[in-house]
Amino acid sequence: MTDFMNYLVLGLTRGSMYALIALGYTLVYGVLQLINFAHSEVFMSGAFGSYLVIHAIVGDGSGTPSWAVPFIIVIGIVSGAITAAGIAWVLERVAYRPLRRRGAPKLAFLISAIGASFFLAQLFGKMFNRLSSNAFPEFFDINNVAFTVLGADVRVIQLVIIVAAIVMMIGLDRLVSVTKLGRSIRATSEDAPTAALMGIDIDKTISRTFVIGGLLGGAAGFLFGLTFSFGNTMGFIPGVKAFAAAVLGGIGNIRGAMIGGLLLGVVENMVLFVGLDAKWTDVVAFVVLVLVLMFRPTGILGERLGRAA
Amino acid sequence: MTIYGSSKDTPKDLLKRLVACLAGSVVLAIMWGPQEGTTTDYYYELRQSVLQPRIVVFLGLGVLLFLAITFWPRVRPYLSRPGVLPLFSGTLAVVAGQTLMRWYDPLGDGKFGTIANAVSQTSGLSPVTKAFFGWLAWVQLLVVLALAGTAIVTGRRVLAWISFGLSLVAGVIAWYAHHDVVQRAGGIDHSLGYAAVVVGYLALAVGSVVVARSEENLANTRDVVNRVMGWRPGFPIVVLGLLLGLLSFVTAAWYAPNTRNAKLNDLHGLFSGTGTPSLALQYMQWLGWVLLIVSVALSGAATYLRSRPLGWAAAAVGFVASAMTLWTMYQFSDTAAGAEPAAGGTWQNLGAGGWMACAAFLLLAGAGYVAATTRVTPSMRKAASTEGGSYLTAPGAVRTLLFVAIAFALFYPPTATPFWQKVLVSEIGIYVLLAIGLNVVVGWAGLLDLGFIAFYAIGSYTTAYLTGSLPVHPPDWLIMSPLLAIPFAIGICLLAGLALGAPTLRLRGDYLAIVTLGFGEIIRIFANNADGITNGSRGTAVDPSRGVDNVPNPSIHIGPIHIQWGLNQLQYWYLLLVLIIIVVIAFRRLENSRIGRSWAAIREDEVAAQATGINTFRIKLLAFAIGASTSGLAGVFFASQVGFFNPDNFLLANSILVVAYVVFGGMGSLPGAMAGAALLTWLPEFLKDQVPGPDRQMWIGAVVLLMMIFRPAGLIPAKRRKIELQGHLDEASSAETVAVPASGGMGSTV
Repeated sequence: MTDFMNYLVLGLTRGSMYALIALGYTLVYGVLQLINFAHSEVFMSGAFGSYLVIHAIVGDGSGTPSWAVPFIIVIGIVSGAITAAGIAWVLERVAYRPLRRRGAPKLAFLISAIGASFFLAQLFGKMFNRLSSNAFPEFFDINNVAFTVLGADVRVIQLVIIVAAIVMMIGLDRLVSVTKLGRSIRATSEDAPTAALMGIDIDKTISRTFVIGGLLGGAAGFLFGLTFSFGNTMGFIPGVKAFAAAVLGGIGNIRGAMIGGLLLGVVENMVLFVGLDAKWTDVVAFVVLVLVLMFRPTGILGERLGRAA
Repeated sequence: MTIYGSSKDTPKDLLKRLVACLAGSVVLAIMWGPQEGTTTDYYYELRQSVLQPRIVVFLGLGVLLFLAITFWPRVRPYLSRPGVLPLFSGTLAVVAGQTLMRWYDPLGDGKFGTIANAVSQTSGLSPVTKAFFGWLAWVQLLVVLALAGTAIVTGRRVLAWISFGLSLVAGVIAWYAHHDVVQRAGGIDHSLGYAAVVVGYLALAVGSVVVARSEENLANTRDVVNRVMGWRPGFPIVVLGLLLGLLSFVTAAWYAPNTRNAKLNDLHGLFSGTGTPSLALQYMQWLGWVLLIVSVALSGAATYLRSRPLGWAAAAVGFVASAMTLWTMYQFSDTAAGAEPAAGGTWQNLGAGGWMACAAFLLLAGAGYVAATTRVTPSMRKAASTEGGSYLTAPGAVRTLLFVAIAFALFYPPTATPFWQKVLVSEIGIYVLLAIGLNVVVGWAGLLDLGFIAFYAIGSYTTAYLTGSLPVHPPDWLIMSPLLAIPFAIGICLLAGLALGAPTLRLRGDYLAIVTLGFGEIIRIFANNADGITNGSRGTAVDPSRGVDNVPNPSIHIGPIHIQWGLNQLQYWYLLLVLIIIVVIAFRRLENSRIGRSWAAIREDEVAAQATGINTFRIKLLAFAIGASTSGLAGVFFASQVGFFNPDNFLLANSILVVAYVVFGGMGSLPGAMAGAALLTWLPEFLKDQVPGPDRQMWIGAVVLLMMIFRPAGLIPAKRRKIELQGHLDEASSAETVAVPASGGMGSTV
C-alpha cells in the first residue's frame, strides 16, 4: 500500500507537469486544429527564463531565508511563464500567422513548427549552454518531506507542483468558461469564420491562445527544471508525452488534457509499481494510448474545446 | 518625397516593420555570434554578440531590409530591366565561389581565404595570381557590378560594353590564378570554386551584353531567353554540355596520381607505348575532340532546327562518345595500375576530367533525344516568343532537367571526395528513398505518419535475421545474402504496415499521427530491450559468444556474373541509384493510376471520396503498406551497407525529419520529395565546413522555417497543390488545406 501510494504521488506529480504542457497543445489545437510542435521549446524557454531571474535573486541559493522561499517559487513560476509566453507569442507571429495568411496546407504548419523547434532549441543552446544537466540553485531542500498521507511521503517539491498545477488549471478553466476572452476562444474553436462574422478578432484570439498556452508551459518548465534538471533539449521527450496526453484526453478539450496528463503520469509510474523494468515505461504508456484510442477514437472526453469546456 | 513605400502603409505599420526588422537583425547577430560561454557565465554569448560594436553592422542590415521592403515598389521596376537576372545570378555564383567553395583541395579546408593566405606567403607565383588572391578578386567583381548597375540605371550603353569586356577579363584572371596555383603546388585537385567564378563572370558578361543590346527597357532577360530557348527543347543542355566538355578537355585533370595533374593533352605523351590500346591513344590525341565537336554540332543543329533525324543522330553519337570516354578511362587507368600497382588499381587516380567529359556527352545525347521526341507546334512557338511563356513550362523542359539530373547522379560521385561519397550513400541516397516512400503516405494519401522509421528498422532487422547476424538464427537453409532478403523484408514490412494500419487507419489525422509515433517508439524500445532477439543496444556489433556478426555486404553471383560490394562507397551509390530508379518508375505509374487518383480524392475530401464509391479504408491501408515496404527496402540496403547498426539508428527524430523532407520538398510531388530530402540531408554536411558543428541544426531549422513561410507548398509543389494555392479551384472545398482563414480575408471586410 505504501509503495502504491508513493508511486501514485510520483505519478500525480509527473502527471501535473504533463497536464500543464498538454494544455498548451490542446488550446492551440482548439483554435487552429493544428499540433504546435514547437510547444516543447516554449516549455524549455520557461526553464531558462526563470533560471536567469532566480539566479539573479538568490545567487547559488545558500543562505536563503525560509520565509522567502514561497515568494521565490512564485517569482520563478511567473518569470518562467512570462518568458515562455513571450516566445509563444513570437512563435505565432513568425511561424504560424504568415502561413495562415497564405492558406498553406495543414502539414506546412507542422513543418514550420518543427523548423522553429530545432531553431529555438539550438539558439537557446548557443545563447546559454548546451548541457542537459543545468540545475537551479538550491534555495530550499526540495526533498524535505512535507507530510505523509496513507504512508506515502509527500515531498515539498511534489506539493508545490501539484498545488501550482491545480491552481493554474482552475484558473484556466474559469478563464475559458467565464471571461470574454474565454468566450472568444471557444467561439473560434467552434467555428472560426462564423466567430469572425460575430465580431471576434480571430488574429488576436489565436495570438492570446498561444500566450495562455505559453504561460502554462513556462510554469511547467520552471517546475520541471526545479525537480530534475534543465537544458536546451529538455523539451522533446516531455513534449511528446504531453502531446500523447492531450490526445489521450481528447485533443482540443481542456479538461481532457488535464485528465490525460494525470492519467499518463500515473500509468507510467504504475508500470514500476507492477514490477516491470523502467525501460518498458514508454512502451506501456504508448500501448495504453493506442488501446484507449482503439475503443474511444476521440479520446477520453471527446474532442471539441467549445463543447466540453 | 513621401517616406511611405506604398500608400497603404500607415505609420503604425512602418513602426511594426522596423521593429520586426531590427529584432530579426539582433537574432541574426546572436546566431552568427561566438559559442556559448562556460556553465557559470550564462550571458557570455549574448554579451559577445549583442553588446559589441559588431551589432551595428547587423542593425544596419536590419535597417537595409526595412528600407528594401518599404521602398520595394520603387526599386522593383529596375529589377525587371533587361540583364538584371544574369547579373544577379552571376554575382551569386562569384560570391559563392569566393566564399563557400573550394579552390585547391590538398591545402587545409581548401577555401578561397585559406588559399589566399598561402599565396601571400609563397614566392614565385605570377603577380597576377598574387594580385587576384590579394585584392583583385573582390575589386574586379565590384567594378563590374558598379559599371553594369550604372548602365542599367542611366541607360548608357558604353558602360555596359566596358563591363562586358571586364567580366571576360576577370573570368580569365580567375581561371589563370587557380591554374597557376595548381600548377605550382601539384596534388589531386577536385575543387570547383574557380569554375563557379568563371561561370559567374560569363553570366555577368551575358548580362552586360543584354544591357548593352536591349532596345527598350521593357523586355527583360527572361523574355529574351524564352524567345531563343522556349520553343527549342533541349537547347539549354547543349550549351551546358558544350561548356562542360570544354572545361573537361582544356583545364580539368584526367589522371592525377600523387603530385601530377595530367590533362587530356598530356595523356597521349604519358601512355603512348605502354600497351594502352591504340583506339584509346587516338581518343586522347584527336578522337575526343572530334567526338566533342561532332556531338555539339549535331545536337546544336538538332535542337536549334528542331530536326528529328538530326536529333536521333546526335543522341546516338552522344551515347557512343560517352561510352567511348568511359572505355578510354578504363583502358589507361588499367595500364597505369598494371605498371604501378602501389599507386592504386583500375579506375583509381582518375581526375574529374574524364567524368566531366562523360557527363557532357550524355547531356549532348540527351539534347538530341529531347529534340527528337518533343513535338513543337507553331502555337507553342508563338506562346514562347510572346510574353506568357517560360522556359520551365515549355515542352520538353522536364525531360531536359531529367537528363541534367541523370548526368549528375551518374558522373558526379566518382569525382567527389570519399567524405562526400559516404554522405551521398548513407545520408542523401537512403533518405531520398525513404522520402519517396513516405511521400505515398503523407503526400498522396494525406495520412500523417510520424513512425515511418519503424519500418526502416523492421527492414534492417529482418535483413540481419535472414543473414544470420542476430542472436536468434534462422534455420541454416534460410540464411541468405542481403540482396535476396529484399523480397522478404518488403513482405514483412508490408505485413507490419497492414497490422498497424488495420486498427488505426479509422482514426482521424492527428490521432493517427500520435499512434504511429507511439508505434515507432515501441519498435525502437523493443529493439533496445529485447536483448535475446535483437542483441539490445549493442546491435549487430561482432560478438561470437552470442552468435552476433555484422550484416554481410551485398553480393551477386549469377552464372558468370560476380559482383561483391566492399568498402568502396561508389559501388553502393550505383546500387542505390538502381533501387531508387526502379521505385520511382513504379510510383510514377502508380500516381496516375486508379489507385493514385483515389488517394488524391481521399486526401481532398474523404466523405466525398467514399460517396463516389472508393473503399477509403482499403485504399488508405494500401498507401500505408506501400510506404512501409519502401521503407523496408531502404532498411535492407542500410543494414547491408553499414554492417553494424543498433536501435539508435531509428530515433523518433528521424521519423519527424523524413516528414519534414517530404513537406519541405513539396507534398505529393515525387521530384519534390526527392529534392527536399537531398537538399536537407546535404545541408548539414555542407554546413560542417561553414559553421560550428552544434549550430548546424539551428541553421537548418531557420531554413525550414523560412521555406515554409515564403513557399508553403514546398520546393517543387505538386501540380494539384499549386492549383489549389493559386485559387483556381474552389479552395473552401478542401478542409485539409485550409486550417483557419486569416482575418486578412474575413475580419477586415467586416
